[in-house]
Amino acid sequence: MTRIGEIVATHSLGFVAESFTLHQPPALGSLVKAPLVAGGEALGVVCFGETVGLQPGRRALRRSDEAVYDSAIYQEHPELVHTIRTEFHAVLVGWQEGGAVRQVLPPQPPPLHYSVAVCTPQEVRAFTERLDYFRLLLAAETPLPSEQLLAAHIRRAYADRGRDDAWLRRAAREVARLLKEEYDRLVTVLSGIAPEGGN
Amino acid sequence: MRRKRLGVVTDGAFNAGLTVRLDPGVSTESLRIGDFVIVEGEEYLYFSAITDLELRATDARVQADPPPDDAAFLREVLQGTATYATVQVKPYLMMRRVSPAEPLAAAEAALVGEEGPRPVKTIPMHFAVLCEAREEDFAAVFGAEDEAHFAVGTPLTQDIPICLDLRRFVERSNGIFGQSGTGKSFLARLLLAGIIAKGLASNLIFDMHNEYAYSVQREGGGWAKGLREIFGPSSVLVYSLDERASRQEGRAVDGVLRLGLNQIEAEDVLLLGEELDLTSTAQATAGLLQDRYGEDWLRALLEMDAEAIQAFCAETNAHPGATEALQRKLKEVARRPYIQPQAAFDQVDEMLHVLEGGKHVILQFGRHQRLLDYMLVANVITRRIMRQYEAKWNRYLETRREEDKPRQLMITIEEAHKFLNPAAARQTVFGTIAREMRKFNVTLMVIDQRPSGIDTEVLSQIGTRVTGKMTEERDIEAVLTGVGNRPFLRGALESLDTRQQVLLMGHAVPMPIVVQTRNYDEAFYQAVAGGGRRPGRPEDLAGKLEELFG
Repeated sequence: MTRIGEIVATHSLGFVAESFTLHQPPALGSLVKAPLVAGGEALGVVCFGETVGLQPGRRALRRSDEAVYDSAIYQEHPELVHTIRTEFHAVLVGWQEGGAVRQVLPPQPPPLHYSVAVCTPQEVRAFTERLDYFRLLLAAETPLPSEQLLAAHIRRAYADRGRDDAWLRRAAREVARLLKEEYDRLVTVLSGIAPEGGN
Repeated sequence: MRRKRLGVVTDGAFNAGLTVRLDPGVSTESLRIGDFVIVEGEEYLYFSAITDLELRATDARVQADPPPDDAAFLREVLQGTATYATVQVKPYLMMRRVSPAEPLAAAEAALVGEEGPRPVKTIPMHFAVLCEAREEDFAAVFGAEDEAHFAVGTPLTQDIPICLDLRRFVERSNGIFGQSGTGKSFLARLLLAGIIAKGLASNLIFDMHNEYAYSVQREGGGWAKGLREIFGPSSVLVYSLDERASRQEGRAVDGVLRLGLNQIEAEDVLLLGEELDLTSTAQATAGLLQDRYGEDWLRALLEMDAEAIQAFCAETNAHPGATEALQRKLKEVARRPYIQPQAAFDQVDEMLHVLEGGKHVILQFGRHQRLLDYMLVANVITRRIMRQYEAKWNRYLETRREEDKPRQLMITIEEAHKFLNPAAARQTVFGTIAREMRKFNVTLMVIDQRPSGIDTEVLSQIGTRVTGKMTEERDIEAVLTGVGNRPFLRGALESLDTRQQVLLMGHAVPMPIVVQTRNYDEAFYQAVAGGGRRPGRPEDLAGKLEELFG
């Protein structure tokens, strides 16, 4: 298991983790996992990422000039990496224990300071076989619109599943079923996930 | 083999029928109005017909803002999800499933034999599955070919024979309807061939346009055999009204028919009122004349001079003008070449004898194709046969011996609305047959393109209706007189093709169904000449049924 972050806030619906790599939280919509105290692992979908200063509420100052900008700033100011951090949020969509996958909220939130890892393509494949968790994703209260989150997740999973077109169509139909009375949101998701040239 | 699933029941009422949501992937284009389908309930199978197809959307915005043409993926996903189709299904018959306890998904819903299909008395619950019918389902409802069941065609979407129960067909009066060009006479020939092949009734056919006995040209070219050619002279006898036509090569007739003035009764004049353009006073005069002179009334009238007419009118209170008009018009009748002053009923009685012997009679009209000829002759002959038949029936009631029972007789007439319009139906022999002769084993097969002209009381007595395409509102109304679930049947009627497609409904079919009629070709001749079984089929089908139903 490749650890990518540590949980810094947690609750029944999701958690916030600090990423081990600055500026590079896991991709939006990717499936991540965190251990549960009672056994098994909680599964979440990355729904938000940000890089902020250590002091809450204080905005960063401009540091570039004509000659020094972008990554050169960090070489110029090596102390900078110690004053900022990259965080990502995940919404919980299920949990797994001993090979069994459940697409409901885990009984407890994952514990604080425990590690977060990205799920392997095999785990993604196993988890996305059923699509009941789409409801959880659509209902999640996230800073970005839930249909954007869902579209991002489906795109990721499609890639992890090796561009599985049959799955993509199945997922699209499931979304259409869930958003049957919200045509505009539905179209947003569907145009976000349409395969190249297929839209 | 499981039935192919089409959708699930989501709504419904016993009276209005069931609403079924089609499964994604099932196209409305694969279904047709009138299709025979099965609803698999928990305990019963419901044999049903599709009565309507409807397109729906979960969100009205889809309809206001449909996906653009280039959004193929979007369109594909929306089909069957945000946009979907429902079908209205009308259950007609129900039958207990083999093992009610068996869960639906696992059930290999086979059919039970001991309890055949019954009229529906309930409806299935939500999420009962709608399926395509299989061959066994058709056979369970419409029967397989046997001594009474005759395959008349196939459903529009499947190649499975649909049978008419000809025994039930002949025991009531029937109608073959359809606007002109829908192949009514081919259809009539098909059914007559079936009845002759199965030997279920004797047929007397009044063949106005000479098309039943010998070959006629098909519309698309080629020739279609007549009944005489299929069944031979030992079974089908041909009489003609036209001596000249009777001498044609290869079209032998067994007799040339003559009518005598003495055989024409006042009732015939009533029937011909419209053809002869007679006033009702003139028609009534015929009755007065018959009262006064009896059987000889017509000859007496024709021989009257002005003085005699005066004397007759003074004596009976008849109207002189009307009497003169009647005389003038009936002179026209007397001049018809097949009329002679006096004739006995020998020829008609000979026909009757033939019919009683289980054979069939076709009366051709040759050149005499005016309605006047057709109606007069058909009426005179039928009246005679009717009286004889009634006498025989009464004798049978006395003796109660099976050999005295008159053989089932079916009389085929064309242009039926002329005989059975409200005015004529009450007074002529055809009206009587249609209304009450069923109990004497005599029925009619009426062929007509204008059923709206037929008396409603007669229409309501018509057992089986075989109907081609119709568009005229009044005719559709008339055909559907006394039939349940008219909106559906109306839709089915309007959507028929003009060729070879008919709606069967009534006494001889357990539920209405639209069929593509059987081809009237060499294979058909072979099949009916050999007893009405389809070559190669009956054994294996019978075997299958045996297996299925025990």
